[in-house]
Amino acid sequence: MATGWREEEFVESGLHHYDAYTYPTYPNLDYEVNEMGRPEPEYRPVHSVPAPVQNFLLYFQKVIKEQDVLKIQSAYIDGFSEFTERFYQSTPWPDVRDLSNIVDNEIFDILYKELYFRHIYAKVTPGPTLEQRIESYYNYCDLFNLMLGADEPVSLELPNQWLWDIIDEFIYQFQSFSQYRCKAKSKTADETEKLLQNQKVWNVHSVLNVLHSLVDKSNINQQLEVMSKPEICADLDVVAGEFGRHTLYKMLGYFSLIGLLRLHSLLGDYYQALKVLENIDFNSKPQGTFIKVPSCQITTFYYMAFAYMMMRRYQDAIRTLSNILLYIQRTKQIFQNRQMLYDNITKQSEQMSTLLAVCLTLHPMRIDESVHSQLKEKYGEKMLKMQNGDQSEYESCFAFACPKFLSPVIPVNYEDMNLNYHKEPYQQQLSVFIDEIRQQQMLPTIRSYLKLYTTLPLSKLANFMKIEDHELKMQLMCFKHKMKNLVWVKGTNSLEGEFQTASEIDFYIHEGMIHIADTKVDRRYGNFFIRQIHKFDEVIVFITKLFSD
Amino acid sequence: MADTAEGMRVQVSKLLKGIERYNPENLQTLEKYVNIQAEENTYDLEANLAVLKLYQFNPSNFSLPICCTILLKALTNLPHSDFTLCKCLIHHDNMADKSIEKILYLSQLLETCEFKQVWPELEDVQDLISSITGFEDSIRKFVCHAVNITFQTIPKRELSELLGSLSDADLAKWIKKYNWSEQADGYISIGSQDDVIKTKNITEKITFESVATIMGLNQR
Repeated sequence: MATGWREEEFVESGLHHYDAYTYPTYPNLDYEVNEMGRPEPEYRPVHSVPAPVQNFLLYFQKVIKEQDVLKIQSAYIDGFSEFTERFYQSTPWPDVRDLSNIVDNEIFDILYKELYFRHIYAKVTPGPTLEQRIESYYNYCDLFNLMLGADEPVSLELPNQWLWDIIDEFIYQFQSFSQYRCKAKSKTADETEKLLQNQKVWNVHSVLNVLHSLVDKSNINQQLEVMSKPEICADLDVVAGEFGRHTLYKMLGYFSLIGLLRLHSLLGDYYQALKVLENIDFNSKPQGTFIKVPSCQITTFYYMAFAYMMMRRYQDAIRTLSNILLYIQRTKQIFQNRQMLYDNITKQSEQMSTLLAVCLTLHPMRIDESVHSQLKEKYGEKMLKMQNGDQSEYESCFAFACPKFLSPVIPVNYEDMNLNYHKEPYQQQLSVFIDEIRQQQMLPTIRSYLKLYTTLPLSKLANFMKIEDHELKMQLMCFKHKMKNLVWVKGTNSLEGEFQTASEIDFYIHEGMIHIADTKVDRRYGNFFIRQIHKFDEVIVFITKLFSD
Repeated sequence: MADTAEGMRVQVSKLLKGIERYNPENLQTLEKYVNIQAEENTYDLEANLAVLKLYQFNPSNFSLPICCTILLKALTNLPHSDFTLCKCLIHHDNMADKSIEKILYLSQLLETCEFKQVWPELEDVQDLISSITGFEDSIRKFVCHAVNITFQTIPKRELSELLGSLSDADLAKWIKKYNWSEQADGYISIGSQDDVIKTKNITEKITFESVATIMGLNQR
């Protein structure tokens, strides 16, 4: 039995069809006995819904029914946040059961609930209750069952941004639930009881299964392969298949790959994280259409760079980070009027700058001028501290910039759970990172001496550093070893590469003498001009359009 | 055929695809594959990481000997950072085990190129590495890699020490393997680094692709 989604299971399981997602049926599960099914949400009295909100939701439902993607996009992005601002700044949107006079179809019912729960997670303090987390999980099950369980593609089109947000939020809620579950404090007996009853909810296997099923259903990997390799003369429509041809499935497939990148990173599996991207070509035009969703683009590069950093592929990490930071620098003002997104991007770009500062400290090399000057201004002090071997500075940078690591294991005993249980996955990744830093701790000092000379006797440097000659030779070999990184050269597979040294300072030892090679860099104009030409072209296109209208 | 590394590679690669990678039922096959890699001196990082992944998801299935083998095999693939990738997946409770602690220390010595201390340390973990075919030679390969990128010439005695005090005959084999040559003055010539490592002047390069897009603009 190959993979993922099994349709026969869906058909047979009838009432329990949402369970199809909670686990691929591996027989040796401890908790198969627990066939509780979905808990019935509590009944609440009906609240009145303000007329403008009612009208907006009627309109929202109508444009989705009519499949007018542009109007859906504006209702989704502008409309929803406008009404949130006016009516539900810190309180939940109306419960869907209070909207029975408005909501008249399953799809809108599910999509509305997706927004409703997402809003609770984002805006309502103190955040979602356990019941809401569980309900939201089942709502995602409904949504994905609807799409994956159908015999033919669901005729639904949604804006790419929304589709990305669904996948992104799905993983975010999984992350949030995993942390919530592992926090020993502040759980009532009732909550513990509920957690034990609902082991399948937000289970890591379910999340993996959903993402893999979306990838498989859409044939996205095969599609990407055809797009990136013109020599394969295959009809994209045929390769895509019945489902993958539809934008909805194709985009969900693509976003699921990015989702897997994120999920694997959260679990410390950096090899697999990069492996899932193996068919994505970040330089290819035909594939470029996918990356019109900036938040997806940023997420992709952030997790890629982090994985590269942990694998000691500093050059690749630095390239990835400076590309995306440059992109943000250039496009940021576009998002200024979308507060949530703007705040997120600001936070993420601070995290990525911190990562870049760490990587550049460990592996100094030349990067884009404008990114570098911004970095020096904001992070110069931190970089200096790290250069001087301040381990606590490395730690605080790591803590600020790392993903929210998770444990995939479900606690079986909530009573004697360690108070710091939820911090363990973070501690584990931190200690791997710090091990690496410790192994490299002498390198900045050596580098600072080497910078001053073109030739330097071993014994003299050993003297400077107050160590023995043979110890110094070890350190110098360590320097060379750590500075020779695997570097991506070509192709779509981000894991492949060849060993290169691109650090500013290089050297070799010959008969007791260190011969040092420096790097001198000419000023660069080409990229600047290319960028300006593109900018002017955009202006010309804009003006021409203005006049022709 | 099925029980050789070559035979298993194909079978195993099917178990690593998609959601199947997380199926604990495959663990037995994958663990067997780890042992075969150790025996036949082959290596498959992806399969080994899948084993560690299954341990991460199902802690009760954890097997200490297999985990040690995976870590030691990762060391044989230095200078690649496979060892780090493995460490990221192993729960720290298991890291505290004595055997694993020894392997961690060994990795640290290797990563910091303290090769002279590596050899006495290997004596100490002989029981762990005896099942890994060709372990010492893999370590020597990494030592040679480090020497190769660092030195233009190195005293013969020093090289021999780094490689674990080899006999002259064995040392000659390694020297030949890396195309090094013995000089009259007791030095081994590693190769001319001054060709490769010299002060670089980075001049600007503009790729054809980036110019092509501009040319494209004018065409419109």
